[in-house]
Amino acid sequence: MTEHKASIISWFRFDRKGLGFFAYSMHRFSGVVIVFYLYLHYAVLSNLLRGQATFDAVVRAAAYGPYGIFIVMDVLLTVVIFYHGANGVRLMLNEMGLGLAHHKALFFVLEAGAMALMLLFLYYAWQAVLSGSGL
Amino acid sequence: MSGNEYEFTIKRKDDHGKVSYSDYSVPKDRISTVFEGLLYIKENLDQTLSMRYSCTMEICGSCAVEVNGKPKMACSTIASSLKTDKIRVEPIRHFDVIKDLVVDLDSFFDKYRKGLPYIIREDYGDYSSELLQTPEQFQKYEQYSMCIKCGLCMAACPIVGTDEDYLGPASLTAVLRYNLDSRDEGGKYRLEAIGTEEGTSRCHYAGECSEVCPKGVDPSSAIQKLRWQVFKHEISGLIRGRRK
Amino acid sequence: MEDARKRSYGTRDRFTTVKWFLQASSGMFLVFFMAVHLYVAHINGGSPIELFDSIVRNLSNPWWLAFFLVFVWIITYHALNGVKGIVYDMGVSRRMKRYVSYTFIGIYLATVVYGTILALIVASTVSA
Repeated sequence: MTEHKASIISWFRFDRKGLGFFAYSMHRFSGVVIVFYLYLHYAVLSNLLRGQATFDAVVRAAAYGPYGIFIVMDVLLTVVIFYHGANGVRLMLNEMGLGLAHHKALFFVLEAGAMALMLLFLYYAWQAVLSGSGL
Repeated sequence: MSGNEYEFTIKRKDDHGKVSYSDYSVPKDRISTVFEGLLYIKENLDQTLSMRYSCTMEICGSCAVEVNGKPKMACSTIASSLKTDKIRVEPIRHFDVIKDLVVDLDSFFDKYRKGLPYIIREDYGDYSSELLQTPEQFQKYEQYSMCIKCGLCMAACPIVGTDEDYLGPASLTAVLRYNLDSRDEGGKYRLEAIGTEEGTSRCHYAGECSEVCPKGVDPSSAIQKLRWQVFKHEISGLIRGRRK
Repeated sequence: MEDARKRSYGTRDRFTTVKWFLQASSGMFLVFFMAVHLYVAHINGGSPIELFDSIVRNLSNPWWLAFFLVFVWIITYHALNGVKGIVYDMGVSRRMKRYVSYTFIGIYLATVVYGTILALIVASTVSA
């Protein structure tokens, strides 16, 4: 009987659910986003085989995109990566039986730490962009 | 919040499988819990309403329903604590509905049995001495033995919803409960039985089971502890060679 | 109802939690790898490694080549194992799980072989 079977949309209905469910939903979502980007990244890097001029042209085009929208996407990707990493550390600790009683506090502490690191990263990466060395 | 009546909206399913919603007004001064509201409806407003209940005091685990989108025991949910006069009662998710609020729990108990939830002894049949247990030994598994098999954790778990083979929080917690019991000697059989892709591997620690558990069993952390047990079992199997 | 009872929670899959452990520990490696990667690709003391020249120069160093090869192997494993878990969670049958598993192993091998060859070719390119 599969009458009651839920669709995968139910993984992302986190209204009236706990913090752990939100963390789980977002972990899943961010993971899929990163896998998508990973293969996109491999595809862009494949252009290395087509020589310097082509590769540099592709990278320059991909860095900003139309109306600089790819820069925005890059920042969003950074959020997703740092979120996934911090929650991943929490999951590993919890799944090994550490800090189970404080998993919500652990979530906030690790995410806050990751977001602080991310802002630091974005600041320095932006400096590199402005100085022209980072495209 | 100001009116004198609660507006109950109940999801119905008749004998022919037709699903509908029925609305009832229940006076506030006649009920305190959602369960009493359902009983009031059945006694005074609509005798065709089907529901399951027994103890009315959160011991039997029969009256699990979804109240305003959250799985709860109807008997221990105080209506005024819902902070709204509109109370939507539906059968719990992830189970087939037989009629109205009554769901088919067969799949739940089938999975529950897979974890061999009983004491297994190597000296089976030898009743010459009692199996003694100190309070400390009892406290090791006491929390996990509070489970009343209501099925709320199964209704809350996102993976049970999409993968109906997944054993689910209640079943895996029962495995840990018996593995931690000092009188038990059957841990390896249980770990063997649940050491599959449908066991602890499907848990991703969303923790919703612990959010809804009425008895504070905390199945999600139980599964993480069990995962470590399965891991040790599998590693020792690797070292010893092929597992029996 | 009926078929749920017949379903076997068999003993076919061994080492399911070993796979979980690999996923968790590869994740921990990736925290380190990602930190290094984001640093060299976007900051690197003001000279990020992004364009052709800098990449070729970087990869011609055998240590960096080894770093990125291991990075590709591990991140691809972690990524595909994660997606496989999501597919498993969708409730595929025991039989299908095996096919899904083989498919992902195939994708993994194809990706890392391609990635390794790509990195080796780029590393052997003489910077113009």
